[in-house]
Amino acid sequence: MTTLSADAVRSASKKLTMPTLTIDNQTISVPEGKTILEAAEALGIMVPHFCYHKELGAVGACRMCAVTVHTGPMPGLKMACLIAVEEGMVVTTGDDASATFRERVGEWLMLNHPHDCPVCDEGGECQLQEMTISSGHGIRRYQGGKGTYTNQDLGPFIAQEMNRCIQCYRCARTYKDYCGGRDFGVMGSRNRVFFGRFKEGMLESDFSGNLVDLCPTGVFTDRTFRFKSRAWDLEQADSVCPHCGVGCATVPGGRLRELQRVQSGDNSLVNATFICDRGRFGSGYANHPERPRQARQGDQPISVGAALTTLETQIRAAIKHHGPEAVLLVGSDRASLETNWLLQRTAKHFGCRVPVLNAHHHRHQTAQMAAFDFSDQLASLQDIRTSDLVLVCGVDPLAEAPLLALALRQAVRKGGRVVVYDPRPVELPCDYDQVAIAPLALQELLADSGAEGRHLRDLIGQAKAPIIVAGADLLGPVGFQKVRKWAEKSSNAERPCLMYPVLAGANSFGTALLSLPEQDDLLTRLDSGKVKMLICVETDPLLEAPDGERFAAALTRLEQLVVLDYLPTSLSTHANLFVPTCPPVEDSGTFINNEGRLRRFQQVIKPGQSLAVGEHPSREFSLDTPGSDPQPAALLLQRLIGRELPLAELHRQLVLEQPRLAALTKLKAGEAGSRVTPAVARPQFIDQLPEQPVQTLELVVSPARYGGDLFSRYAPKLEPRKRLPCFYLHPDELQKHGLKDGDNAVVETDFGSFRLSVCSQPGMAAGCVLVESSAAFPQLIPGAGFSYCVISPGGANE
Amino acid sequence: MSQTTQLLFKNRVPGNTAFIKEFSANGGYQGLKTAMQTMTPLEIRDLVKASALRGRGGAGFPTGVKWGFFPADKPGIKYLVCNCDEMEPGTYKDGVLLQADPHQLIEGMILSAFALQTQVGYIFIRYAYEKQAENLRRAIAEATQAGYLGKNILGSGFDFELHVHGSAGRYILGEETALLNGLEGIRPNPRLKPPFPAVRGLFGQPTTVNNVETLANIPHIVTGGAQWFKDLALTTDGSGTKLFGLSGHLNRTECFELPVGISLREVVETYGQGMWKNKQFKACLPGGASTPYLTREHMDVALDFASLEKVGSRFGTAGVTAFDEDTCMVAVTLNLIRFFARESCGWCTPCRDGLTMVRWILEMFESGKGTIEHLEMLKDQLKNISGKSFCALAEGAMGPVAGLLTHFEQEIVDHIERGRCPFSK
Repeated sequence: MTTLSADAVRSASKKLTMPTLTIDNQTISVPEGKTILEAAEALGIMVPHFCYHKELGAVGACRMCAVTVHTGPMPGLKMACLIAVEEGMVVTTGDDASATFRERVGEWLMLNHPHDCPVCDEGGECQLQEMTISSGHGIRRYQGGKGTYTNQDLGPFIAQEMNRCIQCYRCARTYKDYCGGRDFGVMGSRNRVFFGRFKEGMLESDFSGNLVDLCPTGVFTDRTFRFKSRAWDLEQADSVCPHCGVGCATVPGGRLRELQRVQSGDNSLVNATFICDRGRFGSGYANHPERPRQARQGDQPISVGAALTTLETQIRAAIKHHGPEAVLLVGSDRASLETNWLLQRTAKHFGCRVPVLNAHHHRHQTAQMAAFDFSDQLASLQDIRTSDLVLVCGVDPLAEAPLLALALRQAVRKGGRVVVYDPRPVELPCDYDQVAIAPLALQELLADSGAEGRHLRDLIGQAKAPIIVAGADLLGPVGFQKVRKWAEKSSNAERPCLMYPVLAGANSFGTALLSLPEQDDLLTRLDSGKVKMLICVETDPLLEAPDGERFAAALTRLEQLVVLDYLPTSLSTHANLFVPTCPPVEDSGTFINNEGRLRRFQQVIKPGQSLAVGEHPSREFSLDTPGSDPQPAALLLQRLIGRELPLAELHRQLVLEQPRLAALTKLKAGEAGSRVTPAVARPQFIDQLPEQPVQTLELVVSPARYGGDLFSRYAPKLEPRKRLPCFYLHPDELQKHGLKDGDNAVVETDFGSFRLSVCSQPGMAAGCVLVESSAAFPQLIPGAGFSYCVISPGGANE
Repeated sequence: MSQTTQLLFKNRVPGNTAFIKEFSANGGYQGLKTAMQTMTPLEIRDLVKASALRGRGGAGFPTGVKWGFFPADKPGIKYLVCNCDEMEPGTYKDGVLLQADPHQLIEGMILSAFALQTQVGYIFIRYAYEKQAENLRRAIAEATQAGYLGKNILGSGFDFELHVHGSAGRYILGEETALLNGLEGIRPNPRLKPPFPAVRGLFGQPTTVNNVETLANIPHIVTGGAQWFKDLALTTDGSGTKLFGLSGHLNRTECFELPVGISLREVVETYGQGMWKNKQFKACLPGGASTPYLTREHMDVALDFASLEKVGSRFGTAGVTAFDEDTCMVAVTLNLIRFFARESCGWCTPCRDGLTMVRWILEMFESGKGTIEHLEMLKDQLKNISGKSFCALAEGAMGPVAGLLTHFEQEIVDHIERGRCPFSK
């Protein structure tokens, strides 16, 4: 019998068995395939380890997790991370042989390690320190020379201090293997192994910050946070990243009212233990020097209490004089579920018409498709990581949902296949097939027509766990309806075809779920002329919704503009009444992410909170200190309607109204989070594609990877990653229009005329002009539906 | 030239390389022709198993057993890889063989590929063996021309293509899984086993890795028969002949093909023509730098796998390095450890940092700064490094240290007591 067939026999008999083994006289049953290390962990026995990481797996390099197997197929000193549990196995972790060996490993690892702990930024959260102590190594016997390295400048995000390296290889496994980065790796050999770039320079991966979390010692530290605080002085709490709809678990850390760093949290169903650089280094909005922290009436500072009283009086007066349509409340997909729901309650309280929860109507409609019509077949990122076929339709993951790109990579690493249908030159950190296809053609493809459509159907038919990832901005409600049909047709009882919608905001799903059918479109309501008072809560329709011109015009017809926000948006400067609110790190609340999962974030820091950490001499801040005014929007709204409730009671009442959110009452920060219950599918609408005007190109507005979302526009740390804007065109298209790479061009669009240089991009679809939305062009908002443009040469370079 | 039946060296003329004309004239490719026409792949595998041939690359694993793990009958692409990354100090026999007679290896690989039903072969050769690589390339071209390589070999319907691939020049590439990584073009760290290469090897496909000398023996087993091959050895459990590469303080340091089981005395006195400068034999590495020392008390030990294991050493590659009475064994061991510590790939802690610590302890002895505590530390390092590293490199590196502590502990104590190396003038 060959080894292979022996393996086959073994795997055939491997059906859901739970071997029972004994570790340090405690017995446990764990699923087959688990290792001794994992079984010990489940028993609460911590076997020291370095190279093992639950997401990166075991590689057996550090040799720290040695234990003694007494009964088992191969008795003796073994590495706990490598040996799969077997029935009847008897293991000890504290016996002489394994304890001595681990002590030696501790000693070896420390041969070259400098004693710079007092000045090391890893101090307080150093796994090397913990593991060295737990290995038992204490007294240094080696008196030889220590190896030293020349550090590299890896850019503005990551600081390298190679002398501290203990060669666990986690960095390379994180950066290269897990995240797919190509400009960092292992160099050299023996005790001169070096982890870095071939040449100095900014790390290229959009996930470079994970080096900080994964390095067990102080080799890779957060350069933007270095020397600011000791870890034990930080206020930290489980939070959720607000940058996109993925809803990654994060652990922000702040001190002295400043948000100082963001680390990855742990959510095995969503982001595992990784986050993107945008989320990690893009938190500057919370500390932005221009962040409005003072309530204002006109130009005059007033107290928050006075502002609320004024607001109440004005609302009542407006309704009294002009009727329930006179006051329009606007919510947002970056505001919490609680805030948005309280807006609805506020409207009810004052007797005005239901609020608009998302100023971007088109995005809102698409998010509703996800929240209602997708809701019984939603995939999680974990489903994507284990899928064998993922069709990515109209999504540029690195720009719109970076952790999705990582999930796709894991699917490919496990042998799965990824096919991307998108007009953009989509880059992914893995192997994938790309069909560059213009937006209208993509809609036709999704309508199941043509050879490519048949090919797609065959692909899904053959897959074991197919998933369709659908981009809200590019596909819109029309495309989402088609995706829904595809998924429905391709599913059967044994094997569903799941969907993963990529929505724009952290709470797009939540606002869509809450919104009432009668809320209507913001601009339609404003143009009715009945609105006298507009109250925008954590939203700036000028920046966050298309057709800013129309909105600006509507503003001039208003009697009152009230803004509650924490970002220094232009709208807040126009407001007649302004009340400062708090970003998610200063508030507790809930978002619902792309996969319909309730994600609770907990308050990390408070503006103006008195600070007394542990035994440290108290550093008291009076609540009167400048800048201590901001309060969570949800709290302000409750004060406005004169009914402040504890969060638990608020959630109870919310669930009564929205039974789909039943899991809300038990939700805790730091947990994976349950999903909303599925909705009854809504009737389908007729989807007619518009005709493209002759002589035009399709305009594709895509968020820039950095600076596309509003938060990262107010994040100075991200500046080095921001790109200069330009028009991207397929080289054939350039040639057709008599343009060369780098030429200036004028593009006439529905949103105005723009002059920029053009950039040849062979990876994108022909027939399109691609432009990235960023602070440079705030008028260009993604997800505004089909749009066309005309391009012409724009004269010589200045 | 020795009195033994010469198999591998039968075409060897010092200073000359036998190519296809000389090789064929002396019975070359006869074994291949016979086997392809009269034997099934399984029969060849059974024959090799019966011959008790053990791997010649150092570890001595029975070739037939290794081949038994190989899924020869499984459809799909499979690889045969020849490990010619001969880099251990004191071992140079493969280099000599390929300098003398490259077709020996090629015939052996074609036969092995047929036996294992692999379609593609690679010869992974040490970077410094430029001349040998050139010989192999020419020999492959000749064999292809003659119809021994390529499509439908000798009308059998069997296809086999063979490539020569240079190594990156580090010792770790001789470790079979590191070799496979190197061959794939990725960093040559050893791979985790299981899966073994027979299951998932080169480019994820079933692969067998064999040493040059092992593969070169296959045609002789096929022509001569298993029992004949076994009987060439002087010990009952041994088998075949072996290339012995002599080096060190001997009068003659050459490579000889001698029977397995020959005594150390005969190797040193007859073939090495005794110690140089009329000095006394003190110790030797019997099978390359990673084997524990033999001493004067071992002169009559039969040089074979089992008998050497019995005296606490290993047959290894049969690269015999002899040391005379004036040699400081601490210095010898330090020299070897420096090599191994330098050649560690840096993957696992016991090898990367443990060998550094061992080197430092030996440096302390040799420089006269050693203490009894250091001696205890050395023993403790031996206990905790051997058998506990990721691959066999550190285990091999600790071979000489084990020999030093077994046979020459007093010499270490002398270093400590005198505060200097007793051999330095």
